[in-house]
Amino acid sequence: MSRNVVIGLEIHLQLKTKTKLFCGCSTDYIGATPNTNVCPICLAVPGSLPVINDHAVDLAVKMGLGLHCDIKDKTRFHRKHYFYADLPKAYQITQYEHAIAQGGYLDIVADGKEKRVHLDHLHLEEDAGKLVHPTSDGRLSGAAYSLVDYNRGGMPLSEIVSMPDMNSPAEAIAYITQIRQLARYLEVSDGEMESGSLRVDVNVSLSNADGSLGTRVELKNINSLKSIERALEYEIARQNRVLDEGGQLVQETRLWDDAAGVTRSMRSKEGARDYRYYAEMDLAPIDAKPDYVEKIRAAMPEMPWDKRARFTEQYGISFEESQQLTEQRETADYFEALVASGAPAVKAANWMRMEVQRILRDAGMEITDFPVAAKELGSLIAKVESRDLSNTQAKDVLGAMYDGGLSLDAALKKCGAAGGRLTAEALCAVISKIFAEQPGAVETIKNGADKKGAKQKFLQGLVMRETRGSADPTEVAKTLAEMLAK
Amino acid sequence: MDFQKLSAREIAAGVKAGKFTAVEAARDAIERIKKYDKKYNSIVTLCEERAMAEAEAIDAAVARGEETGPLAGVPYAVKDNFCTQAIETTCGSKMLKGWLPPYDATAVKNMKEAGAVLVGKANMDEFAMGSTTESSVFGPTLNPRDTGRVPGGSSGGSAAAVAAGFVPIALGSDTGGSVRQPAAFCGVQGMKPSYGQISRYGIVAYASSLDQVGGLTKNIADMALVMEALAKPDDNDTTCDAYERPSFTAAVSGASLAGKKIAVLTGYDRDSIDKPLVEAADRAVEICRAAGAEIIEASLPVTMEHTVACYYMVALGDASSKLACYDGMRYGHHEDGKNLSEMYKRSRMEGFGEEVRRRILVGTCILTRGYYENYFVPATKVRQLISNEFKELFKKADALICPIVPALAYKRGLVEEDPVRMYLGDVFTTMANLAGLPSVSINLGFTPEGLPTCVQMLAPRFGDAELLSCAAVIENAAGAPEPVTEKEGC
Ligand SMILES: [Zn+2]
Repeated sequence: MSRNVVIGLEIHLQLKTKTKLFCGCSTDYIGATPNTNVCPICLAVPGSLPVINDHAVDLAVKMGLGLHCDIKDKTRFHRKHYFYADLPKAYQITQYEHAIAQGGYLDIVADGKEKRVHLDHLHLEEDAGKLVHPTSDGRLSGAAYSLVDYNRGGMPLSEIVSMPDMNSPAEAIAYITQIRQLARYLEVSDGEMESGSLRVDVNVSLSNADGSLGTRVELKNINSLKSIERALEYEIARQNRVLDEGGQLVQETRLWDDAAGVTRSMRSKEGARDYRYYAEMDLAPIDAKPDYVEKIRAAMPEMPWDKRARFTEQYGISFEESQQLTEQRETADYFEALVASGAPAVKAANWMRMEVQRILRDAGMEITDFPVAAKELGSLIAKVESRDLSNTQAKDVLGAMYDGGLSLDAALKKCGAAGGRLTAEALCAVISKIFAEQPGAVETIKNGADKKGAKQKFLQGLVMRETRGSADPTEVAKTLAEMLAK
Repeated sequence: MDFQKLSAREIAAGVKAGKFTAVEAARDAIERIKKYDKKYNSIVTLCEERAMAEAEAIDAAVARGEETGPLAGVPYAVKDNFCTQAIETTCGSKMLKGWLPPYDATAVKNMKEAGAVLVGKANMDEFAMGSTTESSVFGPTLNPRDTGRVPGGSSGGSAAAVAAGFVPIALGSDTGGSVRQPAAFCGVQGMKPSYGQISRYGIVAYASSLDQVGGLTKNIADMALVMEALAKPDDNDTTCDAYERPSFTAAVSGASLAGKKIAVLTGYDRDSIDKPLVEAADRAVEICRAAGAEIIEASLPVTMEHTVACYYMVALGDASSKLACYDGMRYGHHEDGKNLSEMYKRSRMEGFGEEVRRRILVGTCILTRGYYENYFVPATKVRQLISNEFKELFKKADALICPIVPALAYKRGLVEEDPVRMYLGDVFTTMANLAGLPSVSINLGFTPEGLPTCVQMLAPRFGDAELLSCAAVIENAAGAPEPVTEKEGC
């Protein structure tokens, strides 16, 4: 029986602020000594009160606008109550009924098709601390005691909740990738799953034959895109198998065990927790008046999808190329700088994807750290286009610029390509030199014994090697023929 | 120098003029507390070292000819739910016994900036829950006017310390009358300013949307000084309003009721109020009339019927939330348990007293699904109606006069038998907290048995200066209450 897969995602993005959501503590907690980035507010010391970090609100609004959400004025926070060691107030301050950004959508491309994923909302909330269990695998089971590190407590998060609009693991991956790209474009978040600045909870169910939604299972604890894909594939197969065998699915939360490649039941949801949501009266409502929202909107950069569409149109490059070039804002900027300094767009795109990409990959480097200035590389590519340099020469020159940290001029000199393309006179000199080195071949040709032209090709190859590609092959063939005919 | 007889203003003037030193004033307050407070138990922690250091700093500044604050060298006490850096702050609870806050509450900071010298932490009902100051882990405070009676609560220690003449000023917190009711019982002046007037940062919360810092003083002029020191915006408390405050001292010095309209509350059962208190309210009205105010009658039907029920819904829901942080993990009373959940249960069961546990339980229930929709949500709607009723009233009147408590100071132990009666005593006090309004309790003298009588005056939100001005007119006519003298008190 074929069933439709229905996937909804909750993405937690850690916002790129200098201080926490409700206090002045540093957000730079990775690697910090436990419980050093803390203060009376984030430790819930009696008498302390939260104060909203305006920059976090700016970033949430920015992300909301990027996701085409409605930004609501006078939204407020709620307290979500539960007792746990990593939650010092015994409630988490979060947005509940009144999220700052509501509705919205994100267009994704998966399996070559464009698709619109609708959003429920984006809200602000604080992160909890972290429990450290002194067992070999860091798990709670078997630990005689646990330690708490509150450095992460109070970190600003925006939670983006999608509608259950995705129907395959590929779409889910495309959605996450697109969110991450947007967050980085807007400089709202690093969006790194490894460091936990992007965290994903997955809701997956199979729809029934009549189209109604099946039992929903939540997957947690997944730390990479690859794992999300595997977890989804596993879970879809598991649910299908249970249903095929006539079994019943239970609504529950399952944890992904990456090593074993399976999902495991964590807790069933039958006894749904009552969080006793309650308005946070220690914080005034958030002012997000239209003129404030418009100010943020006006300062937004070009969206990645707009850039992608513009690139294919303006530069005549393929969709895939455009997608690669716009994946990171910095890559796109570099590409446009190449074009601005004279490189033809299609060639520039090619150079970006082949040569630059190779160097970055080998060096494990980001485009932002690439030492060759776009202006110079652009000029170099322009020289190839005007046939002043061959491709081979140009690659050598780029190598010299990267390895030796040389300027374009210095690299051209070093590679002996400073003069650019060999002129007719210089070419004649090279050919004469080859003639002198290969009297036998010349003789054979002049005698008319080179029936298949093999000897002439041989000489031509020697000339090309001698000129290290700086001569135009057509011109070499033509001049060689003329000189042999003399 | 007989410091006991001096007001805060007189002490500050004396220190500035070099008549005596801040150290002498602080030393005198501390010695009298040591000597006479065994009887009342109003101060639970003496801050001797800190007081001496603060007082010496003031004297040094005076000696250098520097400008010292308006409360220079004035000894004062704060309720034990104000955080005081490195000085035990317990909220009257076993839960926080021995806890040393890492910081000063903004109010404490502001008092220091104004030159006031902190001499002690005042007793209170546990976590500010109660109206008798009998539930403190330090034992009850007794009313200096009659030690057989309670001082009121929950700021009973603060009120008693002023009534006993230990300090001219004490600070309390008022969630539903916790400053004004003990002021009324102890025969001192008490004020709860508008919500958002004074920073709540560093005041251990009872209910976020109701709590406000309040002052207990010998007279209204001193109250204006306290307001001047405390009413200012604070970056640490976003519910503390950023508006430009008027001069409270100027409002008091030029007190007049000419052209004012004062409303008198009607529509309540006068027979259910102790007779001396009805008479006190009537006398206050006559004083206002004689001072040139136009008197109008006004009723608040929604408020009078629903304020107590509404107040307890809001306050207890909030309290269960705000007191959830006491889990035995980072501070406060800790009990071991087999697991996390048991540790929480045991720590909270043994750390909190009975009244606090009762209120947390009710509050938790109020916020639980089902009850929330049926009780809490309607209560927030009623709260809005109460607010609206006052808005309408204050379109017609500048201030409102009514009783503040329905009874004279209770006999000790009375309330233990019947907590509901204690709750119902809050009918006249809670409305100011629900509507965020400023309210003062003004003493109008004493019964022949020596029990204080008093009246309440309310004003529109942020009409605090006007309110003090009206209160000063009544005080000028009725006379400010003298504290109990040492001889009588001992
Ligand atoms: Zn902090």
